[in-house]
Amino acid sequence: MVREFELPDVGEGVAEGEILRWRVAPGDSVSEDQPVAEVETDKAVVDVPSPVNGVVEELRAAEGEIVPVGDVIIVFRVEGEDEPERTETAPTDDTTADSGQQPDVGATAQPAEDPQSEPVVTERVQVPAPPSVRRLARELGVDISSIADSSPGRITESDVRAYASAESSTQERSSQQTAAAEQPKQQAAPEQSVSPVQTRETADRETTVAVPKTRHIAAEEGIDLDTVPTDEQKDGEPFVTLETVQEYAKAQQQAQKTDREAVAEGTTADEPARPESRKPYNGIRQTIGSAMMSSKYTAPHVTHQDEVDVTALVDARSTLRQEAEEHDIRLTYMPFVMKACAAALQENPQVNISLDEANEEIVEKQYYNIGVATATDDGLLVPVVEDVDAKGLLEVASETNEKTQRARERSLSPKEMRGGTFTISNIGGIGGEYGTPIINQPESAILALGEIKKKPRVVEADGEETIEPRHIMTLSLSFDHRVLDGADAARFTNSIQKYLRNPNLLLLE
Amino acid sequence: MVVGDVTTSTDVLVIGAGPGGYVAAIRASQLGLDVTLVEKGEYGGACLNRGCIPSKALINGSKLASEAGHAEELGIYADPTVALDEMISWKDGVVDQLTSGIEQLCTAAGVNLLQGTAEFADENKIRIVHQGEGQGSESLKFENCIIATGSRPIEIPEFDFDDERIVSSDGALNFETVPDELVIVGAGYIGMELATVYSRLGSDVSVIEMLEQALPSYQEDIASIVRKRAERLGVDFHFGYTADSWTESDGEAVLTAVPADEAAHDSAIELTADRILVAVGRRPVTDTLSIDDAGVETNSQGFIPTDSRCRTNKEHIFAVGDVAGEPMLAHKGSKEGEVAAEVIAGEAAAVDYQALPAAVFTDPEIGTVGLTENEAANEGITPVTGEFQFQASGRALTANRTEGFVRIVAEKETERVIGAQIVGPEASELIAEIAAMIEMGAKLQDIGSTVHTHPTLSEAIMEAAQNARGKAIHRRN
Repeated sequence: MVREFELPDVGEGVAEGEILRWRVAPGDSVSEDQPVAEVETDKAVVDVPSPVNGVVEELRAAEGEIVPVGDVIIVFRVEGEDEPERTETAPTDDTTADSGQQPDVGATAQPAEDPQSEPVVTERVQVPAPPSVRRLARELGVDISSIADSSPGRITESDVRAYASAESSTQERSSQQTAAAEQPKQQAAPEQSVSPVQTRETADRETTVAVPKTRHIAAEEGIDLDTVPTDEQKDGEPFVTLETVQEYAKAQQQAQKTDREAVAEGTTADEPARPESRKPYNGIRQTIGSAMMSSKYTAPHVTHQDEVDVTALVDARSTLRQEAEEHDIRLTYMPFVMKACAAALQENPQVNISLDEANEEIVEKQYYNIGVATATDDGLLVPVVEDVDAKGLLEVASETNEKTQRARERSLSPKEMRGGTFTISNIGGIGGEYGTPIINQPESAILALGEIKKKPRVVEADGEETIEPRHIMTLSLSFDHRVLDGADAARFTNSIQKYLRNPNLLLLE
Repeated sequence: MVVGDVTTSTDVLVIGAGPGGYVAAIRASQLGLDVTLVEKGEYGGACLNRGCIPSKALINGSKLASEAGHAEELGIYADPTVALDEMISWKDGVVDQLTSGIEQLCTAAGVNLLQGTAEFADENKIRIVHQGEGQGSESLKFENCIIATGSRPIEIPEFDFDDERIVSSDGALNFETVPDELVIVGAGYIGMELATVYSRLGSDVSVIEMLEQALPSYQEDIASIVRKRAERLGVDFHFGYTADSWTESDGEAVLTAVPADEAAHDSAIELTADRILVAVGRRPVTDTLSIDDAGVETNSQGFIPTDSRCRTNKEHIFAVGDVAGEPMLAHKGSKEGEVAAEVIAGEAAAVDYQALPAAVFTDPEIGTVGLTENEAANEGITPVTGEFQFQASGRALTANRTEGFVRIVAEKETERVIGAQIVGPEASELIAEIAAMIEMGAKLQDIGSTVHTHPTLSEAIMEAAQNARGKAIHRRN
């Protein structure tokens, strides 16, 4: 049966994602949890895992396309039933067209090359499949080495059938697209004597009887006899005469000619132009991408989440803000959080570490350099403020402001983005509460701050419990589970909470 | 069909009734095509008449004689007398039975049989020249053609085959008496098989080989087991020499062999012989076909290049068997014959076996299939191997044949079996199990976990597979 798969919320409460790269192609066998796509949100590149064991039947989005969460991006064929069973929202040609994927007219205009006329033979030696399965693959026109490339272990008969049906449905769809593309053309040129659509009418039998000469001519014309329509029979099998083949060949050539003309005239004439643009995936975007990917793949990420009542911090900041402005310093919450983190790291030195895999050592750092993830037009940059523990709040604020500003201007030197021991990412600036930040390696943890929102909370004062509106900020701490455990993360988060709940404590630091 | 009829056309013309051609003809006929099979000599080709079958008949005869005469260890004392002419006529009986069987199979399948030599007139027409005076010729049009003309022994300068002194393997299978002194030129598999036969039958056999190893296409540890056994049977080897010339002297031939590499051997040697067998290889038979008139291309060695569907450069002309290239093996020709017939009939056939087994019927036998360890490495596969010596096999001990070993090669990562080399008793039979395993995509564990009959030689395969996994029982892993 067919299983449609929607783009899931990839983890940061984002509403859409860009399909950066498909990691599978139609016909590929996938197992559950195998990554099928890389989806880029504004914060990270995330792997989307397959929800099922099955075969990829269709990709509904092109690479580079921005897809809203909840849109079907991929269709799987799940083993077990032969007949396709479109449940949910049945796809129509319109949805395919709307996805912004330009039908590749150049490719679909090729003659409907029938696999059976030239059975596929793999050049690759040592395909793990028994002879009967390899034979089946040839009969179905499937290159068995493609199946071998996408699925581990031995290839079975059902693997081949699944692959073949996935392929044929792709071909079917593309020929529908071709037919659709030809429709306006046909209207524009009514004098066309041979209707391309009609010539595309093909039979698709398993066996066809013909005399050798007919087969010879058909082979020369590149036509598979099983696709030639016929009403005649011989010995109970469909029979094709030489004349039928020659007529069919002529019609096919005419159709190809029409297609070529259509291509030559350009696709814009026949197809509505869809607003889209492309930009290269390179430079800083690519650097971020590969750093994120490497971090995600090497470090087992676990995200510890909690909230903290920052009502006192809100008060403190509004008091100090005036003072800071007199020094021409804009005081945000970030310096408070940085100071809180530096203090918490001092209390929890097990978090202020990095893993030196090459030497199999855990490096505990006795300095506290805090990185601040900064969204820029080019992507995420992380300027580092050194020795946060030794600097006063205003000094931290001033340096942070200056560096994040230069980050946005792209005038930050690489050195200023190195040497961090811990990173803070503020997703709350844009909106949102929880997230799963990706560790800025070689650090071992990263904290994402949610938006500070007023929320009703139970407050205990003088033995009485009341519900009051309080300022609440969420904390999402991703940590490298290779070197840190959940308890470490919880303790560290508790420390941060302590300082943010009672910012006066920071005065002691 | 009556000889002399002028046939206007046939769907499929098959040239050559060897194991490639007759199989192709029968299969094409089974698939409903009108098939004509042309053979200039005997049905069955080299395999049945001058190769596999007669040599194996003599190998078996000589083995019986040799074993009966050398069974003192088992408490058997016998001095068998070999009447070679009787052994040869028994062998001929076997051959006759098989070749007439093939003729009957073809007839029963509805194949039109024609005797004669085929020559292409153009790419859709063939002239068939009938044997004998005044028999004339006829022309035949064809839609498709399968060339299965096989191969013949290579002659070397100064040693033209005369069926007296200088014989090819064909001649060596039809000696009336056992030669006292037999010199064999070439230590490839044909030379080594016939060296085995005649040394067992009592000949003084000398082998001249240009290279420094017997069976040069096999791994040294395999070849040396066979060479040592041959030496124990009394075969003298002269490695690094080429046969230069020969003269007749005192009713004997005297062969002069010169060093292939003068730096290694300083002087020529002379060997006396009743018979000189030249077994330096075989070449494809493409020179009698007027193949140019059909526009079919051949390569510099005379082979006809084909694709995986056995097609030549002409889409409707196919080539199968020896004529289509190495390795020259009957079973390869037969498989290709089936493929060509099926492709002509429009089926989705192709030559796509994962591994081709081969056997050498020396003493002991060699059976190989798939890749060796080195070949695997050269293909970028990380190999793992497992071995088992027949010395440790109960069955081999009870058969009093303990030379040799089974070696299995697998891909290390997946443990998928990709090859095997067996040297030892019944290696030619044992190799079939591994061929099947490779085709089925079996892993080492599949072989190791398959229950093998005890006590049999096949247990060695199971143990070798387990050894590759570090789990053999009857040897140190």
